[in-house]
Amino acid sequence: MAETTQFELVTPARVLVQQDVEMVTIPGSEGLFGVLPRHAPVLANLKQGRVDIYENGAVTSSFMIDGGLADVTGEKVVILAQRAEDLNKVSAEELSARAANASEAEAAFLSAVSDAIA
Amino acid sequence: MPNLKDLKTRIDSVKSTQKITSAMKLVAAAKLRRAQEMAEASRPYSTSMNDVIASLAAKSDASSAPALLVGRPEVKTHLLVIVSADKGLCGGFNAFITRAARQVIAEKEAAGQKVLVYIVGRKSADALGSEIADKTFARVEGVQGTNVEFGDAESIAQKMIDGFEAGSFDAVSMLYNKFVSVIKQDVTHQSLIPAEVGEAEDDTADAGAVASYEYEPDEEEILKSLLPRNVATQVFSALLESSASELAARMTAMDNATRNAGDMIDRLTLVYNRTRQANITKELIEIISGAEAL
Repeated sequence: MAETTQFELVTPARVLVQQDVEMVTIPGSEGLFGVLPRHAPVLANLKQGRVDIYENGAVTSSFMIDGGLADVTGEKVVILAQRAEDLNKVSAEELSARAANASEAEAAFLSAVSDAIA
Repeated sequence: MPNLKDLKTRIDSVKSTQKITSAMKLVAAAKLRRAQEMAEASRPYSTSMNDVIASLAAKSDASSAPALLVGRPEVKTHLLVIVSADKGLCGGFNAFITRAARQVIAEKEAAGQKVLVYIVGRKSADALGSEIADKTFARVEGVQGTNVEFGDAESIAQKMIDGFEAGSFDAVSMLYNKFVSVIKQDVTHQSLIPAEVGEAEDDTADAGAVASYEYEPDEEEILKSLLPRNVATQVFSALLESSASELAARMTAMDNATRNAGDMIDRLTLVYNRTRQANITKELIEIISGAEAL
């Protein structure tokens, strides 16, 4: 088993993901970056984009986040995102139904999510 | 002597009141469980956010730190956010908040500051009425119960930050009921701008580890984008705490009401039975004395 790093994706409403991962790619404000175990400590602003979790060299799950902050230490990666969606668990219909009665910022994010799963 | 029919009507009406209060208690209890779960689920986010801000704030120097963090040197106008419920029938919940709000407004005004209020929830606005008519900065309703969403908190926070940057006020604080337990809710007065930063709880982040952090793009940028989000987070957790408190207060109040209604029914039933017995006795006496007179 390859070396792993602890990964957490936290939104204001709940902890969305908490698992050990091999690698995770994060949409930093200065560009996409990947985090492997023993990464140098970084505190990074994030922009809207995809977070991909890799295991055994392949993407196992993907999330869309709406900006936030990544706190990376050697053994742990914590992403604080205002909004996040699991791209494997939402459907386009569900998203459009939710976007119908959402605030402007939320609706913009949901449409970005539906673009990503399309 | 009370009339038997009137007593019967009273007993029936108290019984139906008791049915309503006990149903409300059950509803509040079920919702409370959800509200509590939501409040707990939101804690990891606000704790981590607080940790990051605390460590950044400790390093940034006071003169160049953003106003959202350290506040403005002179406070002329203070914005008070009052979080109350939209509905009544929850014991002292709304009354406590209203009383605390009056006190804070009086204190600030005594210190020579102008006070504006941001009303969240209908009940405190109703109670304060004309006292705040010329002080209201904004009002919002319908952000209570178990359907509070982060978007709601975000829009409230955004309005505050816009007002702060436009110079409408120089400091913001928030009054809400903090959920301690089902029978205890504390009225809490918390400062939002300047930000109230607790000690970082994460003790693994010792000085050496913090110093070796890389920042992307840089510390100031991160702090600048983080602080407005922190305001939204604080508002969000206050809304959740307040909702849980409201439901807990309602549950307790309705429990008491149900019990009081039960006592009342017992008392009324006793009077009813006595009256009935008295009537029977009276009729018997009338018959017997009628028979004797013959």
